[in-house]
Amino acid sequence: MTSKAIINRLATGVPGLDDILGGGLPEFSFNLIAGQPGCGKTTLAHQIMFALATPERPAIYFTVLGEPPLKMLRYQQQFEFFDTEAINQAVRFVNLSDAAMAGDLDQVLKRIVDEVTAHGPALVFVDSFRSVVLASEKDGNPHNRLQQFVQQLGMLMTSWEATTFLIGEYFSETDANPVFTVSDGLIWLRQSVQRNSMVRKIEIMKMRGQPTLPGLHTFRIGTSGIEVFPPASVANPSDASVRAAASAPRLLMGVAQLDDMLGGGLPRGYSLLVAGPSGSGKSVLAAAFLAEGARNGETSVIAAFEQHPNRSRSRIVAELIAGGKVGLVENRAADLSIDEIVYMLMREIRRLRATRVVIDSLSGFELALAPTFRPDFRESLANLVTALAGVGVTVLMTSELEDRYTDLRFSPYGTAFMTDAIIVQRYIEVDSRLRRVMAVVKVRASAHSDQLREFSIDADGIQIGQMLAEHEGLLGGRPTRKPLTQLAPLAANDPNG
Amino acid sequence: MQSQERGTIAAFLESAVSVGASSEEVAALIANTFTGVDQALVPIVGQRGMAALYKRSLHLSRPMHPWLPAAAQGSESGMDLAALTAALAARTSAEAASAGTQLLESLRVLLTTLIGESLTERLLRPVWATFLSGPSARDTTS
Repeated sequence: MTSKAIINRLATGVPGLDDILGGGLPEFSFNLIAGQPGCGKTTLAHQIMFALATPERPAIYFTVLGEPPLKMLRYQQQFEFFDTEAINQAVRFVNLSDAAMAGDLDQVLKRIVDEVTAHGPALVFVDSFRSVVLASEKDGNPHNRLQQFVQQLGMLMTSWEATTFLIGEYFSETDANPVFTVSDGLIWLRQSVQRNSMVRKIEIMKMRGQPTLPGLHTFRIGTSGIEVFPPASVANPSDASVRAAASAPRLLMGVAQLDDMLGGGLPRGYSLLVAGPSGSGKSVLAAAFLAEGARNGETSVIAAFEQHPNRSRSRIVAELIAGGKVGLVENRAADLSIDEIVYMLMREIRRLRATRVVIDSLSGFELALAPTFRPDFRESLANLVTALAGVGVTVLMTSELEDRYTDLRFSPYGTAFMTDAIIVQRYIEVDSRLRRVMAVVKVRASAHSDQLREFSIDADGIQIGQMLAEHEGLLGGRPTRKPLTQLAPLAANDPNG
Repeated sequence: MQSQERGTIAAFLESAVSVGASSEEVAALIANTFTGVDQALVPIVGQRGMAALYKRSLHLSRPMHPWLPAAAQGSESGMDLAALTAALAARTSAEAASAGTQLLESLRVLLTTLIGESLTERLLRPVWATFLSGPSARDTTS
């Protein structure tokens, strides 16, 4: 009775990549890293190499034709993962250009065999494999020669217990390239350009024997190398929200009368949409929400997607950020993906062990997304809300609402259904003044006030006043005074008064 | 650019001269060091890459030592050390040491410009350790 072979999964050292690979890279696998020039193939290979190579189980990086090795070293050392001291110890570069230039695949293979035999590497990289393909075309029958070469290389590397990567530019995915058939893994890197924004995407087209996450995943190349943003649901499998919602007192909003209107504060783990026209006081309410958290010893994260952060951010929020009570996630470049935003938020939430999150505003958030993701904004937003609910934080989102007095709307994105609670703010005209009113429209599974209350904003924040009981037609924007005979009984009978 | 390596190279070759090494012996020391550089770099940059670096170093050193061999045109087979040794051996040992220092330093600075100080040091460390730390030429032959 023999037990099954155990496939070890190697941690690639690329943040997020192991998640979309389905748990890491299978040991001794034969992989292809493909994509067009400039999409990050060599960087990905180097990052994996420096993460995994050790002096005992080193890596050999064969450079064939293509990027001259000196150039490659010049640029790759700019990344933080590049460890100069590892060179010629854990990491060995071997140049095969002389053999490849002669178009002699047998000679190329022999050189690879010699080096692998001499050093017993755990990892082997061949960059760029396309040049091997081109070299083989000098012979009469390129496909046959190449197939033989790849077969032999694959067999050799597996028997030498080396995890292997062929790095190459393959312009056509549908090409019946023999390399695609032989390889165990196929990692495809892409660049998606729309208008003047560019988004990098990675796809695991094939990885034998494990459940990869299908589809295109965004990644970014920074000074620390590549960072992949797996979909939020994978990043946060958690039942924290259930625990949070079931237990504990409600969260206070920082505006006492509003807590009363909500039925005693906002239930923990809920998402709240604050909708209103420009200048109605949404951000002021958000600031009060954050300040109240800080007062209770809680930490928060604010995602600010405004064009002029310094101008629009209130003094209160700026102080909370400076004091470390509130983490800030911001980005003004229009090249974000929803997964990246969720990733940045989650990182801050974990770092600060935050319980409150503010997204100010959804309109700015939409603009921060790369154009390529905007058609899916509603879906993206649903993912975001789900992901945040998954970690049990309480979320306040502001949404700019065009003031239309002919219909009652809460969100321009049809997002109202996704949130657990909604507060709406409106302007009304009374006695030739613009005055503000606020109402709690919805608190899921909870009693709440149905009053439309006037409020004002002063140096201390939001002050909620009384209902304008003497008026009617408030939501039409131009209320009229009711006949005196109707006034007294209404105010007296209201249980929430 | 004054560097620790330049100091080491110069001091080593000058010490060989001071103990009376002939220009042939100095030339052999320099050629050996270049062989070490070749062994360190060719696996990484390839024969052609090494040849290009060597030619550029010669080009940079010839204004100060015009008698150094001109880089052979179209040669892709690496360094022509025979030509270098012959040229060095034809001068006084002090001249040979000075030109050799210049040539090795040019190559080191060139590499530093391209791939940075620490990686250059990492790649050439074994060369300096092997060829520049041993006893001088006179000591080995006596």
